[in-house]
Amino acid sequence: MSAGNAHVVRIYDVLLGTFPDDPTDPVVDELQEAILTEMETAPPEGVILDVSSVQLMDSFFARHISETAQMIDLMGGTTVIAGIRPEVAVTAAELGYQLDAVETARSTDHALEMLGVNWNPS
Amino acid sequence: MSESSGQVEIQSETDVLQTRQRARTAAEQVGFGTTDITRIVTAVSELARNTHLYADEGVMEWDQITDNGRTGLTFVFKDDGPGIADPDAALEGEFSTSNGMGRGLSGTQTLMDEMEIDTEQDVGTTITITKWHS
Repeated sequence: MSAGNAHVVRIYDVLLGTFPDDPTDPVVDELQEAILTEMETAPPEGVILDVSSVQLMDSFFARHISETAQMIDLMGGTTVIAGIRPEVAVTAAELGYQLDAVETARSTDHALEMLGVNWNPS
Repeated sequence: MSESSGQVEIQSETDVLQTRQRARTAAEQVGFGTTDITRIVTAVSELARNTHLYADEGVMEWDQITDNGRTGLTFVFKDDGPGIADPDAALEGEFSTSNGMGRGLSGTQTLMDEMEIDTEQDVGTTITITKWHS
């Protein structure tokens, strides 16, 4: 049984953090650390948190997302949460999480567009 | 293989993960829809974390139940931890003693149909939650 790991990659001026489907608390901590470390190297325009595989958003996870977004905001970046599943969105709405500092996108493509990244093949 | 009850010892982060996975399988077996499964697993995640965080260790027992022709799923979290000082305040969701959203217990109540807290300081806590399949 594997909890999976969190991954952060840099694409041009955007950081893309990807959560595994069922992250343990330490994995969520790890991703936050990795993003902040990467931001220190060269502050990006925006950070996309891809949660499309995440199957549940409990209070710990929501708190971390919110905190991470606030930190990124303080460092001058924009955070976009991409791909929240419908069932996770329902649960998060019922729980009344305050995710005000966070922008949301349907997918990572949509999130990239929101951050001004365009793909124009000629 | 189909089981209608079982238990998971909670002693580590991996065990917390295990409670979620077992809860998901159990909820799928009862036939809950995706949204209810997510509600159940989220509630279980909150309580399993609380057990691990505050009491260090405990156990989750789950049981498929029936009542008047309807089927439900009940989870019991037991520990010998410090107990919850003010369960009513904890249910208000207005404060947090950990680094969660401060909504762990109140959120659990919102997501489930029934919730019962039996706690005594320095003795332990037993929390029972139930979701009915409509």
